[in-house]
Parts: sequence; structure tokens; C-alpha cells
Amino acid sequence: MNQFILQQGHSRELQAFPHILEIALKKNTSIQLNSLHATSTTSVRIYFIVDGKFDWIINEQNHILYPGDLALILPGQTFRGEKDILNIGTLSWIHLQIEKLDPHGMSLGSWSHLSKNERLTIGKILLVNNATVLKLTECQTLLLTIREELMNQEIGFMTRINQLIDELFIGIARQSTRQNNSQRDFPQTFMKLEQTLRQNLANQWTVEEMAALTGLGTTTFTEKVKKYTGFSPLNYLINIRISEAIKLLNRQEENVTDIALQTGFYSSQHFSTTFKKLTGYTPSDFRKRNLPQKNNTHE
Amino acid sequence: MECIITIELGTNAVRIFAFDLNGHIIGSMKGSYPTFHTEPDYSEQDPEQVFITMLYVLKNLLTEKIHPQKYHVISICFSASMHSVLAIDNHGVPLGNAITWSDNRGKIEAQELKKSALGKKLYDITGTPIHPMSPLVKITWMKNHDRERFNNTYKFLSIKSYIIQQLTGEYYIDYSLASATGLLNIRSIQWEPEALGYAGISPDKLPQLAPVFHSPGKLRKEFQKSLGLSSSTKLILGSSDGCMATLGAGVWSEGKATITIEDSGAVRVVGKEVIRDEKQRFFNYLLTENCYVSGGPTNNGGVVFEWFAKQFGDFRIPYEIEYTMDNLIREATKVVAGSDGLLFLPYLLGERAPIWNANARGSYFGLNIKHERQHFIRATIEGILYEIYSIGKTLEEHRSIKFLSVNGSFASIPFCTQMIADIFNKPVTSKNLDSASLGSFLMSATDMGKFTSLEEASRSIEPTDTYSPELINHKTYLKYFEIFERLTTKLSEEFEDISSLQQKH
Repeated sequence: MNQFILQQGHSRELQAFPHILEIALKKNTSIQLNSLHATSTTSVRIYFIVDGKFDWIINEQNHILYPGDLALILPGQTFRGEKDILNIGTLSWIHLQIEKLDPHGMSLGSWSHLSKNERLTIGKILLVNNATVLKLTECQTLLLTIREELMNQEIGFMTRINQLIDELFIGIARQSTRQNNSQRDFPQTFMKLEQTLRQNLANQWTVEEMAALTGLGTTTFTEKVKKYTGFSPLNYLINIRISEAIKLLNRQEENVTDIALQTGFYSSQHFSTTFKKLTGYTPSDFRKRNLPQKNNTHE
Repeated sequence: MECIITIELGTNAVRIFAFDLNGHIIGSMKGSYPTFHTEPDYSEQDPEQVFITMLYVLKNLLTEKIHPQKYHVISICFSASMHSVLAIDNHGVPLGNAITWSDNRGKIEAQELKKSALGKKLYDITGTPIHPMSPLVKITWMKNHDRERFNNTYKFLSIKSYIIQQLTGEYYIDYSLASATGLLNIRSIQWEPEALGYAGISPDKLPQLAPVFHSPGKLRKEFQKSLGLSSSTKLILGSSDGCMATLGAGVWSEGKATITIEDSGAVRVVGKEVIRDEKQRFFNYLLTENCYVSGGPTNNGGVVFEWFAKQFGDFRIPYEIEYTMDNLIREATKVVAGSDGLLFLPYLLGERAPIWNANARGSYFGLNIKHERQHFIRATIEGILYEIYSIGKTLEEHRSIKFLSVNGSFASIPFCTQMIADIFNKPVTSKNLDSASLGSFLMSATDMGKFTSLEEASRSIEPTDTYSPELINHKTYLKYFEIFERLTTKLSEEFEDISSLQQKH
């Protein structure tokens, strides 16, 4: 394995791949001052440890990385070496430009061969799981193959390279979910999912996204949720949305439309219909029910 | 055609059953809700989510199973887990989440009260052991540590009282559930002034007391409409899940006890008298006037075996815990009774009856080089059931028990049921059905005059399976149980030390 570095703007191999900002393999044989000072970029940075032991601080968290470990640094996260130095050892990396979505989403760019939904979902999983260090040994082979394809430019290389990057992201997304969930304790996994849903209730969650966060396929996921909660995933989500909405209604602070959007309904109309179907009250009638003019006896 | 609906507001889920008037199940559905542990010792539930889940499940059951078959719903009877506390303001709006039975935040309050003369007296008057689970302790904790919420509270409800208030607009609690609050005098059936004084509240801070058969009022019009029920559908307050499970298990006469093991477990007997226990080991809950359900609860039931399965089971299929547990049980059968001398103390969650020691911890004892994986599996199950036996044995100091009836997902696994029969050396009947819901059905059926009394109703329950004890196994178990009991006593100092070290992490 020889050292190499290809950089966008300098290396003509990358001309056809504007989303690849940098790809490299480095054997670090001596410790130099200020060799890894703090940086924060708009790209996704993926580092893979081939040998050696690295003390890194990623997103203000200390990590020790060993061979076979992959570090994933998301846009906006800071990255530096302990004492700003790069330890002795061998590592490879790739920096990729990623599409930013409002307000804080991200997606793989249109170079990807994945479907639009999958690109979005992978972006969401990486953000939600927020896993920094992953065990992903196949990363090294993928990076080396990408480099070979870049150098040789054999027929089909453009497609192949982007597919390899897709594969890398699929591996990272799956592994980050696997590391987050034991695959033994569904109640625990579901509890984590429920927390994520509650924290992002305004989001229009799809079953695919929820399933991906638990590391299950949609069919198995739906079956498991149904068996465990008694509800389909989307109906369970409605439960959470309505319970949160009731709390907001009781606070008597915000208007019904704001509450609807905050709790993930498309519109106040959608909110009212769903709310009434379930509780028998429209949101505003429900709110009035608990207003201070108390002792409203119910027949 | 007429039917009866039962709503069981359990620890993790609401289970709703519809029975025809002969007690046959027409349909059932469940909906689960989460428990939040926002801080160590905290265990809370979102009252709105519990309510919405209940409403959603009820609506689904009605529209999918009941209305299409043109059933008329005569009554809806409730049961719920004991010991929950929900503070609400004067608009009926919850002040924070409901605190569930397994919440331990009041452990210091409980320890202090239990040691005092007042504690002893309150235990005797109220029948509820002085423990962090008790609403008496929880409200006292709130008074001491969450003054703002305490001061703003219009009423302290149970989750069931809240649900009933949402449905009818009325604040009620049945005597039975009230008898598990530590605030009710179980002989006079009034709120106990000394208990209320200790918690710092007046009786108007609590819902109105009423018998289990009481109807708290009609469904609000809006719900009648959204659920498709008429104003003639009667709501019945009902009881606690524990008392209902005892009723539904058909254990009503002398000489019988019921063993329920789900995640946690309990051994219960029914009698006309309160059990007076010097060591404060048992609860005495009221079902109806002069009818007491007495017994002891354990924290460490099926949840411990599930813990074992998650750690050491072979998950060939992701998340398939039932499949994994079936395989473990199959392996456990390869080992003889007594696990060749491997003993397990199951106190992973501290323990309630009979030792009432929150600091107790689990342990495997007697390991030798010949023990294999399957010995651990069997020893784990045996340990859980020795603990049940130790509750049963202490109960026998007060009552004679000749027959047992088991229910609950763990106890009704045939391997476990047989083991219970062997350890106790008593015949065991098993009913693989939701006993709490069946109990609610019996209560409703009695209310409409189908039975003359709950006792007669409980006699209508026929057990599905009977297990006879194997004397030879019993003798083996007894020898190991004797060591189990001694270990539990001897280790009390070490339990304290290790748990205080654990709490530092």
C-alpha cells in the first residue's frame, strides 16, 4: 500500500467527481507539532484506521481509535487530534460534499445511484444516530477500490466509483444503527425510536425511516411494532402526536394551527379531523373544556 | 346480543376485552405506552398518552369487532395497576407525568417512616406496606421535594381516576384501588386522617371514594358519539389489577392461593380478615366490604428471566425474544431439579416481599467446574420460583394453603407451573388467560345480577390444566431452598455494601 493523496482542484482524477473533495492514504512515521489541529467543514469526513492507535477529539468528545475503526465526522462537527497532533500509524480517508437540507437535514447528492428516499433516509439516520466511531472493516477495501478506479479509469469507472461511495454510506448507516441497537431487546430499541420521534415530532416520518432507525426491514418492523404496541407504526405515531397536542392545548398558549404543525400534522384541518375522530372533540372544543370556567358539569 | 367490555390499565399496556354474557371472549386488543425513566429511581407515564391509547384501542375494538356484529355494550368495567399518583390542577390538567408503582424516588421517606412508630401504625391501619411504591410516600416526597407541584395540586389522582374523569367528568376512586394508596383506613373505609396528616393533605385533595360496583356517571356525549355507544352503557369503577386477577383466578375460598407472575409477581389469598403481620411483610387490600386480598409482591418475576434471555440467549432471529426463551426453557429441561447444586438469588431489582430490601442483589452460588450453560438457565428459573415460594411460605404462617392457582405469562409456562407444583408440593391449576380481565367480567356480570355474589362468580371459573407435585423433586428443592433462604439472610450486610458501591456509578 503506497501513500497517496488526491484533492479536488489539484488532481485531475477527481475532475469528473466534484463531490469527492479528497481521498488519501497516509503512513505517519513521526509526530509533528500542530499536525492535526481543529477543523470544521461543510463536508462529511470519513477516516479509516489501518494500523496504529489514534487519540482524537471529534465533536468535543474524546475517542481512541484502533485498526478497523472508522471515524465519521458530520458537517459542522469539529475534529482534531489530542494535543493537536497526528499519532503514528496508517490511515486512509475520504471527504465528500453532501447536500444540505433545511433546517438541519442532509442527503447524498444526485451523483448517488440510490433512490431519492434512500438518500434522504441515510442522511437522517446518520444525523439521528450520531455515531462517531464505527467498526467497519470493509471500508478499507472500498477506499482502495475507489482509488484504483480513479487511477485506471477503465470502462464504467464513473458509475462504479459512485456505487462504491453509495456502498460505503449504506455500510455506515447500517452499522451505526446496529451499534445503537442490540438486536435483542425490542422494547429498548423501540423506546429509543420513540424518543427520537418525540424529539422530532414536526417531522413527517415515514415507516421506511422509522424501520431504518431500528435496523429492520419495513415488513418485519411493522409486524414487531404491531405485536409490541398493538398499533401500526403510523397509528402509534398518531398516538404520540395527539398526546403531545393535548398537552399543548391544555397550556392555553399557542393557537391550534401552530400546535398542529408542531406535532407533525400537515395542517390544522388534518389535525382537527384526526383529533375529533379519536377524541370526539375538535381541538378548540377540547381546549374550552378545560378552561377556567370550571364546574361545567357534564350531563 | 349483549356484551361486557373490560378495560385493564396495566403497567405497560392497556388491554381491552369484550365478553359475551356467558364469559366467552368476543374480541380483545391491546395498546402499549412507554414508561419514562428521566432520572434514576424515576418511573413515569404520560397520562395523555395512556388516555389516548385507551381511547384508540377501545374505538378500534368497537368498530372492528363489536359494532359489526351488532352487540349492545351493557357495561364497561375498569381495572388498573395499583399505587400510581397523578397530580392535577383545578382545571383537571395534569401537573407533569403520572408516577407509577415502580418509582423509587421516595425511598428515604419510606425508610424513615417505616422505622417510626407511626409507620407501624399506618401499616396496620391502611394495609399498605410502607414502601416507595405507596402513594402515601410519593405524595410525602412531593411535599418535601417538589413543593411547587404539591402546592398547585387540586387533586392527587390515580391513573384510573384520571381516565374516568376524562370519560365522565367525575373524580372517583374505588375502595379497592384506594386501599393500595396507604391513605385509606381499610376497616372504616374512610381516608385515614393520620396518613393524610403525614402526607400534608386534606380529604378534598383526593377523589371521592365509592364501592367497586359504583357507576361514576355516564360517558360524556362526545365520547358516546365518537365511540358509537349509547347513554345506557354503564361504566363501573372496578378494582385494581391484582384484586381482579385474584377474582378471575377463581380463588375465593379458604385453603387457596393464587400466584401471578408477569414481569413482577405476587402470591395472594382472599379472606374476611386482615392478616396482621408483625414484620410488615404483607399487603392487605380491600376488594369489597369485609373481603381482603392479602399477600406479598416480588419485583423479580419474568423480568429476570427476560434479562437472562437478552444477555445469554441465542438470538438467531433479531429481537425474537419469545423464540429465544422457548429454546432456553428447552435447554433447562435437560438438567435435573436442583440444577446440580447451582443456586440463584434473583434480586436484580431489589426485593419487596418477604425481605423488603431495596438493596438486595442477584447472585449465582455453588458454581463448580461441571456446571454448564443449561445449569444457569434452570437455576435462574428455580431462583425466581424459590422467591415465590418464600412469599408463600411466610403467608402460610397466617393461612393454610392447600391448592394453588397460577396465572400470568411467566407462571403459566408449563415448565414453570410444574416447578411451582413441585417446589410447593401442592396441586396447581393454571388458567392461560388474562385473569384481571376475567375478574372484571365477573364483577360486571355480578353487577347485572348474573351471579348473586363475587364469591359465586369466582366459582364459575374452571381451571384449564392441573399439575400434580412430584414428591421426589419437592424433597430436592426443599434442601436447596433452605440454603437459598440462609444465603438471603446472611448476605444482608454485603447487599448493603455492594449496592452502595453500585450507586456511586
